[in-house]
Amino acid sequence: MSQLETATPPASARPLPAWLSALRAEVASHPAVNHLLLARLATGPYTKSDYKSFGLQHYALVGFFTRYMEVLLMRAPTSAEKLWLAKVLVNEYGEGSDGLDHTQLYRKFLTSAGTRVNEEFENELCPEAFAFVREHLRICREEPFLVGLGALGPGHEWAIPKMFSHLIPGLRRARFEESEILYFTLHCEQDLDHGAWMTEVLAEQAQTREQQEQVRRGALLSLEARFRFWTGVERRIVQWRQPEAVKAVAHGVYGGSKDPARLSSPGKLADLKRLATRYQEGGVWAP
Amino acid sequence: MKLLLVQPAPFEHGRMGLENALWLSEPVALTSIAAMVKGRHEVRILDMRLEEDGVLARVLADFRPDVVGASCMTTDAYQAQAVCYAAKSILGDAVFTIVGGHHPTLAPEAHDIAAIDAVCIGEGEETFAELCDHLAAGGSRDDLGAIAGLAWRAASPTGTQQRRNPNRSQARSLDTFPLPARELISSYLGRYFFAAATPLASIQTSRGCAYDCNFCAIWEFYERKVRFLSAAAIVDRMEAVAEKFIFFLDDNFLSHRGRIEEFLAELERRKPGKFWMIQGRTDFIAQHPDLMKRMRDAGLCMVLSGYETNDEGTLAALKKDNLRENNLKAAALLRKLGIWTTGIFMTRPDFEAKDFEAMWAAIREMKISIPLVVIHTPLPGTQGWRAERHTLLTEDARFFDLLHAVQRTRLPREEFYRQYARWNQATMGSSRESLPLLFKRPRLTAALLKGVPTFVERLKSLRRVIEDPQSYLRDEADVIPREAGGARREEEIAAA
Repeated sequence: MSQLETATPPASARPLPAWLSALRAEVASHPAVNHLLLARLATGPYTKSDYKSFGLQHYALVGFFTRYMEVLLMRAPTSAEKLWLAKVLVNEYGEGSDGLDHTQLYRKFLTSAGTRVNEEFENELCPEAFAFVREHLRICREEPFLVGLGALGPGHEWAIPKMFSHLIPGLRRARFEESEILYFTLHCEQDLDHGAWMTEVLAEQAQTREQQEQVRRGALLSLEARFRFWTGVERRIVQWRQPEAVKAVAHGVYGGSKDPARLSSPGKLADLKRLATRYQEGGVWAP
Repeated sequence: MKLLLVQPAPFEHGRMGLENALWLSEPVALTSIAAMVKGRHEVRILDMRLEEDGVLARVLADFRPDVVGASCMTTDAYQAQAVCYAAKSILGDAVFTIVGGHHPTLAPEAHDIAAIDAVCIGEGEETFAELCDHLAAGGSRDDLGAIAGLAWRAASPTGTQQRRNPNRSQARSLDTFPLPARELISSYLGRYFFAAATPLASIQTSRGCAYDCNFCAIWEFYERKVRFLSAAAIVDRMEAVAEKFIFFLDDNFLSHRGRIEEFLAELERRKPGKFWMIQGRTDFIAQHPDLMKRMRDAGLCMVLSGYETNDEGTLAALKKDNLRENNLKAAALLRKLGIWTTGIFMTRPDFEAKDFEAMWAAIREMKISIPLVVIHTPLPGTQGWRAERHTLLTEDARFFDLLHAVQRTRLPREEFYRQYARWNQATMGSSRESLPLLFKRPRLTAALLKGVPTFVERLKSLRRVIEDPQSYLRDEADVIPREAGGARREEEIAAA
């Protein structure tokens, strides 16, 4: 039996060190985790058409988490950290999801939201989706290991259960079946485990103030990218409803930025994957 | 205690509506409430119409208020709920959340959700102050039964239940309320506007309306009472604001000849040198040309009126208590005096092509400067809502923005919206006819010039949306039932 096949030890029942408690609170109250889009989805009667717009953008992020993990895994300083990260990776590959990996689960959600066959590949992604993936690959490839761990641990595994818990009531209100939103409900459960495993690594690895600050920096970098991503997704939901309004925003009508670049799409999922693969292999991120 | 009052954005950022193109008024309800409590509590106001989305979470996390209040009408009801939800999400149950305004007052049950602890019914100054003092004194959240004007979530053996306290008397003299705490919105001042008139201040000089139109809830909100600010107090407030333009937010400023004469006498004596705008009925305008001229001479520059329709039968059906003749006379008089007009006209879901054409022709005939064409909507709390609720295709509050048909249309919906979306194009001639007004009052024109470029830009943006029938159909996707003509999917909308 390999180390990977051994039962995952439960997360320690030890109380969190003060710095991790403070970081957890900071993540929980971060604007990305409490983005108004999520609050709106939690309280307003958004429809399957809105969730389709949402999902077609969000899907771009779904397949990439494992890539970030793979990049970071290569840079883990000891086998202990590698093992913890590998546990999360195995889970992300599909363990505990009836054999379906997360990408497949998400496609099921997209289909139930009304996407056509292959629409997720034909869909134009918002610039913030590209920026999100690029930023995370950059963090995992170029920043110190603990910054990467901060981005993927607190920045993802602590944040996602709370973010998705905002989504679930709205999805149910829009009459999605439980089996159709398994991606989200599963993450609320799984990521609690993942977050706890990551916490163990963090507590062991980040002993000095400088190391702890690296973890925090990674978490905040990730969350800032996430905040911008949710804003981009919201704009795409509005854009579907009011195709002409997006051009209006470019004029700064609503206190928004006048940056026209955010209105254009840098490409589709295949473009994003191509760029990411090249970057992951050590190349530059150049369209 | 720390209190955060929030004016929500009317809809998601990036969306276009009349609110962010034609008229953005300062949040007077919140500054008025803040004025009642600022001496005893630390108060902040956030106007999310002028902030990026992330600001709310940052302020909640940094300021950590004990109470968060949000004000809303009908279309932004969910936005107010989202604000309260975000507050609970960041601060947990320690924060007390409350919503107030028209929709919460007239439909408190719609705000009976876990994220909202209480609903303020009716005008909020005294109720909110009493609630905050109660909580600051350590009063229990489960013991709010003594605060009049509050509906609150009380624990019950079967969970929570919204309990409604007796209404608060709305009889207090307006002169006895403290001045709105405009200093709390100082960072936003200068960014409010009506059309090209900016910077714009807003003052409420009366509350309530003596008429009982069946599509309007103002008179129901204020329980049929009308109260006025004294003439001296109005001019005090005009003098206190730095802005050149002032919008009087009264739902019907032109309700009482004696009051207006007193106000004008005060204004003529003190000469604050402002341009001001009002909302008022056409019958009063038509019947008081002398008074309108005096108002013009004292700075009145625009009147917003509900012309609604030029069909006598419909005016009667709306219980408007007005005549077509008054609409025509009022429009002509204001034009002659050099006063800009904003006219609201109401199409109905049973309109056919010829009805739309008749309305465009009527608007062009009256040469209204800024015609706004809406769709008849039985708003929550109105007689129309009670009478026609069974005919509604949706009660989704977002659709009660007067720009969507919430009832069955006689024409196929795509054709209805195709006709409706023409209103701006079809009435452009009416606005063009108002351009000579620019030469009638050069001082006013000079003051407006600064705001013209951004107004034109905003208007162009709004036109892109309101002239696009697909926007209406897309909004309806998955909401308006297919059997009522609602489109469901992109392909169907594109085909339409």
